[in-house]
Amino acid sequence: MNLFSRKRPEKLALNTNAPVTKPRSTDAPHSPLASELTRLLGPQKVLSGLGERLNYRYDAILVGETPLCVVLPESTQDVALAVKAAKAAGVPIVGRGAASGLSGGAAPLKESLVISFTRMTRLEIFPERREARAQAGVVTLAVSEAARPHGLVYPPDPASFRTSTIGGNLGENAGGPMCFKYGVSGDYVRAMQFVDVDGEVHELRRDAYDLAGLMIGSEGTLGFITEATLRLTPPPRFTRTLMSHFPEVGQAAEAVSQAIAAGAVPAKLEFMDKACTNAVEDYLHIGLPREAEAVLLVDTDGEDLATVEEELALVESACLAHGGTVRRAADDTESAALWRARRSISPALGRIRPQRMNEDIVVPRSVLAEVVREIRALGEASGFHLVQFGHIGDGNLHPNILFDPRRESAEQVHELAYQVALVALRHGGVLSGEHGIGAMKRSFMRDALDSVTLEALWNVKRALDSQERLNPGKVLPGDADLPHQDTHAHP
Amino acid sequence: MNHDIPVDQLGPQGEIMAHAIDACVHCGFCLPACPTYALLGDEMDSPRGRIFLMKEVLEGELPLFEASPHLDRCLGCMGCVTACPSGVPYGELITSFRGWSEPQRRRSAFDRAKRGAILKALPAPRLFSAAARLGQYAKPLSPLLPTSLKSPLDLLPEHVPAMLDLPRRTPAQGPQRARVALLAGCAQQALAPNFNAATLRVLARNGVEVIIPEGQGCCGAAAMHTGARGEALKLARTNLAAFEPDDYDAILSNAAGCGAGLREYPEVLRGLPEEAAARQLAAKVMDISTFLARLSEQGGLEPFMPAKKPLKIAYHDACHLAHAQAIRAEPRALLKLIPGVSVLEVPEGEICCGSAGTYNLEQPELAAQLGERKARNVLSTQPDMVASGNIGCHTQIQSHLRRQGSPVPIHHTVEILDLAYRGEL
Ligand SMILES: Cc1cc2nc3c(=O)[nH]c(=O)nc-3n(C[C@H](O)[C@H](O)[C@H](O)COP(=O)(O)OP(=O)(O)OC[C@H]3O[C@@H](n4cnc5c(N)ncnc54)[C@H](O)[C@@H]3O)c2cc1C
Ligand code: SF4
Ligand code: SF4
Repeated sequence: MNLFSRKRPEKLALNTNAPVTKPRSTDAPHSPLASELTRLLGPQKVLSGLGERLNYRYDAILVGETPLCVVLPESTQDVALAVKAAKAAGVPIVGRGAASGLSGGAAPLKESLVISFTRMTRLEIFPERREARAQAGVVTLAVSEAARPHGLVYPPDPASFRTSTIGGNLGENAGGPMCFKYGVSGDYVRAMQFVDVDGEVHELRRDAYDLAGLMIGSEGTLGFITEATLRLTPPPRFTRTLMSHFPEVGQAAEAVSQAIAAGAVPAKLEFMDKACTNAVEDYLHIGLPREAEAVLLVDTDGEDLATVEEELALVESACLAHGGTVRRAADDTESAALWRARRSISPALGRIRPQRMNEDIVVPRSVLAEVVREIRALGEASGFHLVQFGHIGDGNLHPNILFDPRRESAEQVHELAYQVALVALRHGGVLSGEHGIGAMKRSFMRDALDSVTLEALWNVKRALDSQERLNPGKVLPGDADLPHQDTHAHP
Repeated sequence: MNHDIPVDQLGPQGEIMAHAIDACVHCGFCLPACPTYALLGDEMDSPRGRIFLMKEVLEGELPLFEASPHLDRCLGCMGCVTACPSGVPYGELITSFRGWSEPQRRRSAFDRAKRGAILKALPAPRLFSAAARLGQYAKPLSPLLPTSLKSPLDLLPEHVPAMLDLPRRTPAQGPQRARVALLAGCAQQALAPNFNAATLRVLARNGVEVIIPEGQGCCGAAAMHTGARGEALKLARTNLAAFEPDDYDAILSNAAGCGAGLREYPEVLRGLPEEAAARQLAAKVMDISTFLARLSEQGGLEPFMPAKKPLKIAYHDACHLAHAQAIRAEPRALLKLIPGVSVLEVPEGEICCGSAGTYNLEQPELAAQLGERKARNVLSTQPDMVASGNIGCHTQIQSHLRRQGSPVPIHHTVEILDLAYRGEL
């Protein structure tokens, strides 16, 4: 499948001077399902016009099929009604948050009903229990903002936290720079409400069978999360920052391992390779070390300044011991300047090529140097721009392939992504740290898992969604997906 | 974003549009910055959604009329441009698109008349002033009128001030530090003549000679952003003839929207013979706050009299300063030069107040919701006074502050500086 383009209906003639005559939608504006949903939910919550539906077929990486109809629920009841109606009509359903996902999770692969949670934004803070109760569409950052006046924060911090929703975060089990010390989204869920494929509403806690845990990271293939009770924590009182750069990637990885072994638990531990550092330096001109093979950016934080400083000192001496050059931030302004480099990766890469394929592999830290080197060699051999960065604390790497879809072949990009994934698997790694499998990496799953394990996953899926109505074509490779090796024979 | 736009059929404006669409990676980072997305919560009324809609129309996959309602709701506030990590030039895209699509629109006779009237009255200060006066008399009738007629009336100030005749030349006081040209603005001359008066006084006091070139007209931003491309071209050419960039150290605007409008001339005239001249002009255009902040850095400003008692000023970022021109620090720094003044930050400060040129007239419901929200956010800071650098925001926020029963005054940043010089703050 070519993931980057879609079938096009025949073009209308385009001419600047001639007005478009007979403005008429090419599709019938109402499907029977749309009419039924409009009857149940009212016209404000149902979108059926072509322009409306076209806008619910993509996420941040993939453009999929135009949905049959879109629902914008405001309550759990709305969701349940919509699911029941779709079931009766035999139409598959795709859940959607802010569609900032990077694995195609929210892009329909078949004509579907899309349930977009962006209007479910009710949020309550319970300071005495250190909890927030958030509807699925609440934007991640909003949780922390609402909690802050009570002296609390919500630590999970995907780089997309201003945009992404709690439902989408839990759907992907999103992480972020903070996850080494503070964990990922799923670690903050105390309870959850979800709607199953039959439209029944369930309240889950994390005792007995951890069904909430099953929903987390299931990418909308097992049910729809409508609300979650989230754990809040007090923010650390002190934070210290340093940047270190190394002539060799292995040294950076070893420095990290040594610091962790010595007892440092950094709050953030980010890595950028040479290509990435140079891209950012071209963009910002802030004097980043262009010649360095690896740049590390580290925050330590906590309640007690002495401990925070001590942890930073452990990191510093580990870096120095492995040939690193260290720069400590003198104050908050300098630390913000250092982190600006990390935050600017996206726009910096966007200036090199308009599109990128963002990988999300995780490998043991001990093999990191090897993995980074192999991936770079693959990139160089392919002729594509390939840069690497990531949350090195957990060995989470984001190799990014930059390309121009109009000049470069999407198939070759996909092929290179596949080779990159295989490097991770060969070194005992996994396919996804935080962005999910979605549609982009589904076909790699056969390489990642043995058939018995895959069958177990399929059994779970069938138990909760026997007809494959929930986000079809995502996560689990189907019978039609031959093992990837066969379709991509290699010389 | 992958696209199939027939660029060669669309000319220079087509290139602008195709480039913007190319640059968008549909990451969605712009969503939280968009006021209409904040109100409506649907993808079509978000920046990313609008970019997709324009792409589909340009590719011929979607009839224009299906996209129009959502594109019409765009305020042109450029909040999305600030938020976009990939540098998508959304402003150039929507302006070019509106210019391209307007001739193909089918509008009702009433709609056409209303748009025609706005585009005629706005650039003509005297006509606008007369209309505003008429409107003032009609105000008591307002509850009886349909929203589309009522909303412009609700916006008018209690008293429409008399027009001021502006001097062609205002000499510098003391040793001359600079010579500048001022764009007088149109609606502003009718609704808030004191903005220009205060500007002239503050500049002269700081050794700046100010010329108000004859023959200048409306900047054309309103025409451009509503898709009246022919009109916009005409106005741009008028101003190119009136302002001779080489004669001045800077060409100043004290209305955020107009300053941004002048700076857009190179895009408007792209591919036309005047493009080079437009670039020269645009390079000289500066907002009054930037100019004063530079004077302040290079040799200082005349000292201000302290405020009579500690004064908390909520500063409102006009979209066309903050987002379109990236001017945020300068006005705040200027206000802080006045002894006794502290500057307050407004929550959700980056979200438009709903004024946005002719938005009040075209989308009255959304404009009102945004105005109400802005006034609430402003009042939450418990200010003694509000400052902003744009006439549109000024009338919108003032009207919504009054509606919420607040007597807090709102002034142009330069008016506040002027008051401080006169010891009246
Ligand atoms: C520039 C950029 C940086 C990013 N950085 C990070 C990062 O640091 N860490 C990280 O983890 N991710 C990151 N992401 C990826 C993305 O933001 C996350 O995956 C995020 O969690 C998606 O949230 P969303 O609301 O946009 O969900 P969507 O993209 O809309 O959906 C994601 C998946 O969840 C499902 N889903 C959505 N809502 C529900 C629901 N209520 N119930 C059940 N399933 C649902 C969807 O079907 C889909 O499969 C980044 C993305 C971008 C564009
Ligand atoms: S933030 Fe920029 S690149 Fe991302 S969707 Fe919005 S316009 Fe496109
Ligand atoms: S210009 Fe303003 S209203 Fe228009 S899409 Fe951008 S943020 Fe939204």
